[in-house]
Amino acid sequence: MVEPIRNCEEDFERELREQLTARDAPAGFAERVMARVGERHEAHERRWFRLPVWGWAAAALVAAAAGGGGLQYEHQRQAQGERARAQVMLALRITGTTLRDVEQNINHPVGRSGQAGNRGWEQKRDQKED
Amino acid sequence: MDDSPQTFRAIVERHQARVFSIAYRIVGERGTAEEVAQDVFLELHRGLRRLESEDHVTAWLRRVACHRATDALRRRAARVDMAAAAYEDGMELRPAAAEFLPLMNRVEQLLLTLPPAQRSVVLLRYQEDLEAEDIAIELGMPLATVRSHLQRAVKLLREKAQRSLKEYCRG
Repeated sequence: MVEPIRNCEEDFERELREQLTARDAPAGFAERVMARVGERHEAHERRWFRLPVWGWAAAALVAAAAGGGGLQYEHQRQAQGERARAQVMLALRITGTTLRDVEQNINHPVGRSGQAGNRGWEQKRDQKED
Repeated sequence: MDDSPQTFRAIVERHQARVFSIAYRIVGERGTAEEVAQDVFLELHRGLRRLESEDHVTAWLRRVACHRATDALRRRAARVDMAAAAYEDGMELRPAAAEFLPLMNRVEQLLLTLPPAQRSVVLLRYQEDLEAEDIAIELGMPLATVRSHLQRAVKLLREKAQRSLKEYCRG
């Protein structure tokens, strides 16, 4: 009686390995797994089938909103561009006018104010001579 | 891998004993073990295309079976407490039940008195015949932890089995 016990102890790991061989799965296990896979597949299909009812409407709304937003943004951008262009043109016109005045003053030093001033000086000179 | 029904069914048939055994020996109850094993295969079906070979499938099934069975065990908190108490008290099999259990069932019962992490390691070592290095990779544990779990688990099982096996050998 002692010998088998000693053998059991010595070969404990081997015993463990032998006793822990895989057990058979319950009968019909594979069928039940396949049935659940099938159910899940059908449920997935149904979800896709149901999607167009409200899902596509929601998707269309989102797309329309996004498209509308995009158009509005483009319109705003164009308007901003036009305003900026008008401002640049105005600035160029003002600069052009100013430059022309400056050029005139340089080429003809006696401007309108200058002529008036000269006329006043000439009047004073004539009075003095009289 | 191909996830066609034919291929998947072949995989289930090839691995069902392995996955069910791991689940059963961790949770200790056939109903819960079957539920866990089915969930593992459904999860495999969802991710089958990402696995490249049969070896990957085998390793994946071992790892996920251990983890899901341990999760199921945690969910059954009351039972875990009982097992932990039995483990801490050094309680062995209930004599009345042990008397009628065949040897394989006795080892499985003894296994259930181990903490869950040790159960997984023992199963992968002795049921799946993996080396400590491979167990460390599959369970994502440090090698030293795996070795320590194995050493402690075998020592505990040997001690617990001594009385039980003595009774068995005496017939």
